[in-house]
Amino acid sequence: MPTLTIDNLSVTIPDGSTIFEAAAQLGIVVPHFCYHHALGAVGACRMCAVTVVEGKMPGLKMSCMTPAEEGMVVETDTAQAMEFREHVGEWLMTNHPHDCPVCDEGGECQLQEMTISSGHGVRNYRGNKRTYQNQDLGPFIAQEMNRCIQCYRCARTYQDYCGGRDFGPMGSRQRVFFGRFTDGMLESDFSGNIVDVCPTGVLTDKTFRFKTRLWDLQQAPSICPHCSLGCATVPGGRYREIQRVVSGVNVQTNGHFICDRGRFGSSYVNHPKRPRQARVDGTNVPVAQALNRLRDKIAGVIAEHGPGAVAFVGSGRASLEANWLLKQWARSLKCPAPVFELHPRRGRAIRQAVGPLSSHLASLRQVRKSDLVLVIGADPLNEAPMLALALRQAVREGGRIVVLDPRPVDLPCVFEHHPLTQEQILCLLAGRCETGLLNNLLSELMTARRPVLVGGSDLLGGVGLQLLGHLTESCDNDDRYCLIHPLLPRVNSFGGGLLEDAPQEDLLERLENGRIKALVCLESDPGSEHPEAGRMQLALSRLDYLAVFDCLPTHATRRADLLLPTATTVEGDGVYINNEGRMQAFSAALQPGIPIAAVTAGQHPPREFMPETPGSQPQPAWQMLQDLLGERHSVTALRRAMEQSEPRLEGMSRLQPGDEGIKVAPQDPEPVEESTVEIWSQDGDLRLLPVQSCYGSEVASSLSQTVTPRLVTPRLMVHPQEAQQRHLQEGEDVTLKTAHGLFRLRLFCDERMATRRAIVPCLPGTPLEIFVPGGLSLPCDIEGGAS
Amino acid sequence: MKQTEQLLFKNRRPGETAFLKEYEGSGGYLGLKKAVREMTPKEVCELVKASGLRGRGGAGFPTGVKWSFFPAENPGPKYLVCNCDEMEPGTYKDGELLKADPHQLVEGMIIAAYAMQIDTGYIFIRYAYKEQFAYLERAIVEATEAGYLGKDILGSGFGFELHVHGSAGRYILGEETALLNGLEGKRPNPRSKPPFPAVRGLFGRPTTVNNVETLANIQHIVNGGAVWFKDLALTVEGAGTKLYGLSGHLEQTACFELPVGISLRELIDDYGGGVWQGRAFKSCLPGGASTPFLTADNLDVALDYQTLEAVGSRFGTAGVTVFDDRTCMVAVTLNLIRFFARESCGWCTPCRDGLPLVVWLLEKIERGQGTDDDLQMLKAQHRNICGNSFCALAEGAMGPVDGLLSNFEQEVVDHIQKGRCPFTA
Repeated sequence: MPTLTIDNLSVTIPDGSTIFEAAAQLGIVVPHFCYHHALGAVGACRMCAVTVVEGKMPGLKMSCMTPAEEGMVVETDTAQAMEFREHVGEWLMTNHPHDCPVCDEGGECQLQEMTISSGHGVRNYRGNKRTYQNQDLGPFIAQEMNRCIQCYRCARTYQDYCGGRDFGPMGSRQRVFFGRFTDGMLESDFSGNIVDVCPTGVLTDKTFRFKTRLWDLQQAPSICPHCSLGCATVPGGRYREIQRVVSGVNVQTNGHFICDRGRFGSSYVNHPKRPRQARVDGTNVPVAQALNRLRDKIAGVIAEHGPGAVAFVGSGRASLEANWLLKQWARSLKCPAPVFELHPRRGRAIRQAVGPLSSHLASLRQVRKSDLVLVIGADPLNEAPMLALALRQAVREGGRIVVLDPRPVDLPCVFEHHPLTQEQILCLLAGRCETGLLNNLLSELMTARRPVLVGGSDLLGGVGLQLLGHLTESCDNDDRYCLIHPLLPRVNSFGGGLLEDAPQEDLLERLENGRIKALVCLESDPGSEHPEAGRMQLALSRLDYLAVFDCLPTHATRRADLLLPTATTVEGDGVYINNEGRMQAFSAALQPGIPIAAVTAGQHPPREFMPETPGSQPQPAWQMLQDLLGERHSVTALRRAMEQSEPRLEGMSRLQPGDEGIKVAPQDPEPVEESTVEIWSQDGDLRLLPVQSCYGSEVASSLSQTVTPRLVTPRLMVHPQEAQQRHLQEGEDVTLKTAHGLFRLRLFCDERMATRRAIVPCLPGTPLEIFVPGGLSLPCDIEGGAS
Repeated sequence: MKQTEQLLFKNRRPGETAFLKEYEGSGGYLGLKKAVREMTPKEVCELVKASGLRGRGGAGFPTGVKWSFFPAENPGPKYLVCNCDEMEPGTYKDGELLKADPHQLVEGMIIAAYAMQIDTGYIFIRYAYKEQFAYLERAIVEATEAGYLGKDILGSGFGFELHVHGSAGRYILGEETALLNGLEGKRPNPRSKPPFPAVRGLFGRPTTVNNVETLANIQHIVNGGAVWFKDLALTVEGAGTKLYGLSGHLEQTACFELPVGISLRELIDDYGGGVWQGRAFKSCLPGGASTPFLTADNLDVALDYQTLEAVGSRFGTAGVTVFDDRTCMVAVTLNLIRFFARESCGWCTPCRDGLPLVVWLLEKIERGQGTDDDLQMLKAQHRNICGNSFCALAEGAMGPVDGLLSNFEQEVVDHIQKGRCPFTA
């Protein structure tokens, strides 16, 4: 812990820190470009020069590269240092086009700030400026290379941190170019991060081009709603539309970066078909009227058929507050407690994570620091992309990744893949079949210093996660736990699971036997979430009354007797609990409303004045539920009440949007619920596994216009061996025969996947939406030709 | 003109290359035999240290000292890399050496590897040296067949394998850490030091990088001893002979092996045949393009490391480029700095963007459009680029500018005052 003096101020910092970090701790920002907290120092820009007055090596030094020493005396404002930094400013600006008025970075340009702070003001160079030809990098990133100051941050992010291979520095001297060999869409699923790290307007968000200056942007710290990892984001909008999302910083979860689905998948908020009006029996009504109607209707059903005739469905999309209030409402009516996950097998998996595994949950940070990660039944890039990035960081630090999964798993790092089928993985974990591989892995886990098991709930289910839990416990030792990082279906699945008192009977059966007359759905869509989607649709049509709260256009909102429009994540406050049990708060960046662009057809804001903002009816679901319950508390008061009723939520009322979040208390050791034993068999030559795809399976992002170019088309994937046996060619259209019907699909082959398996992506809005992820494999057959 | 004992150019004949038979016939591989049979690795190291041999690639770091930092006892792979990316303008000695006698480098490398207990070596050779590349490959095959390379060399139990790697061709690859990146197949940006290559070099393993001429001297030191080697030089501090590559405005331009410490005057008059066309000497680069200019006042300086540093220049690679009295030093400097600006790898700002600014200033001055402000700006560029770049390229690039400003500032002022280059009609 050396103590040194910088600009006459004394500072003590951890061993191994640099002068730059010591100065930062004192609040002295030394101008810099190539240094970035997530990327570290490389000494390329030379902007952070300071004078070491006393020390082992006195003189002008780069503060980001010079270790802080005991007793060192440093001055940041000597004539020598200031003259040099001014020159660096001048050199960097030699060829800069000074097109700030039309540059998207304006208002948040580090080049502007650092040039001013370097002291450079007037350019002496009068020669021609170097210019570049820009490339088309696809739908997400705009490139304007003339603005580049060669800090190498983009390359260090794209190649080193994110493992991308198709973008980097080319050429030398003053003509270094950052781009691809040829024009084309960036391949990495983390490409948007180069926008965040670029200190100037070379790489900007194409979907945000020419829309808004930072100072006009409405922003708030938020949580990405697209998977269960709960990454920190900062959405920004203006004119009642979401315009961009940038990464927030949470060292416990995502660190400094986010995936492209999280960044570019948010324009569902602006979706023209989004529910924006309360509706009762096909007629638009004010929200208050709809709420009164709902209260009366439910009371009527209870009076006529008893409280058992009303069912409530919460969800992993809804905030913790809304789910809790739904539960309170059901309790006040003496109705059965809500179901928070309609997919029974997924529900069992969530209960495992919330319950028995809760003492062993690993954060993404712990995954990044792990020396051995076993990824079992998970495909990170498709299910939770930031996990893939965390695995890469583990590998960069010398860790090892072993994947057991039937899919052709791709990761941006070196890893070992065993393409076992779902059944083989479950057998392996249960010790019912060949255990050589497991024994090898077990002995590695025993000796690893920071082992983590990643378990995909969709493939493993409750039984699989339970077996994984036994595995971790057997690998614990006195010094450390063997941690587990379960992937859950949705952003707040953990929260729903935590509110669930006891496992419920499958909703489908209760609907089919006619016991339920009225159903209230909170941001859930039974017809697309239940594994028996077709049967569920049919059963819903037998209901007397369907009331739906939602912000997305779904099957349920279309056929609802009563519809209440809710606010999206970016329009309300709330708390989500991520897959490792971390409660995190988000706050509203925007007020709901139909985007001005949609109201005015792109014209200037309207001259016609209305008493209220068009489309401003949506409210956070928890506010509407409070109204229903006849109470109106502040968020904090509500969270305090929740803490009292659910002791595991202790700390919830202290959460601040943008903070690291607080982990929920582990579940007290109590008799573990016996999971339903799943029977698996390997009958049949070929079985079908419906899986998630990064772009297209998650409902909200697939409704975002911005990710349309990346959406996966319906397809069928098999091992080349299967295609060969059936005399099928890759690329031909084949017929997939299943119990759910026949599907004409393009055939893809991948030799990295398991044999005897066919894989289809679950894609809402396409014929494949009948398939829901999270189940066991299904019998199927494939036929070629035009049958 | 005393005849110098020829070590490195012993087998040099016009248009011929000495291979194994001739090399062995002239005492080749005796040094290796002596080293592996009679000496411990440590003794070889100590001998080289005592000989006073300094790196011949330009920087002049004492070779034995560099070797003594090497963790020879570390287990696992270790590398010896020969830097043959000779791209310094005015320097062509390594090319000449390899054209004449490639086995010298092979033998030197084997002894060096033995001294540091290294198992693998790479010769990183300039893209233009296609001929020398082929000679080295043949020499390696011959040496392997003769049992000088491979496993268990001469029954000593020591093994060493050697590869030649052709450079893609950039000046920056002569910088040792950029060279290592290039050898790994990466972008040849220099690496930050520490860690030094001896700790983390090629593929993250301990590595020593030495110049061709440095390594070719090793067997001669082993054969002749440290005292003999040291006495070859004419200065007290100096050691050994040196390959001087002459170029520029001389009657004869060729490469000669002469003692360290020979005077500039003797080199020019006796070996270069004097300045061409009977003109007077104005200036020279003593050791390649990145060493500051010498003037006629320095003609009697001994060509050695300390003596040249004392007059504000450097011994460098001893590639001596001479300019006659009708040469415009602004134009010379501009020519050189253009080369360095072009060869910057683009990693750090002073080099990537500072050197082109210096080019622009010198172009302006040479065109006769310079002002006093431009001269002040040139001085400010010199002051701020030197010592503040990531690697030594920019520092070396500013060597000519340094020489221009300290020895020929009046010429710059003349350009500005006359509004034209005084050397053009």
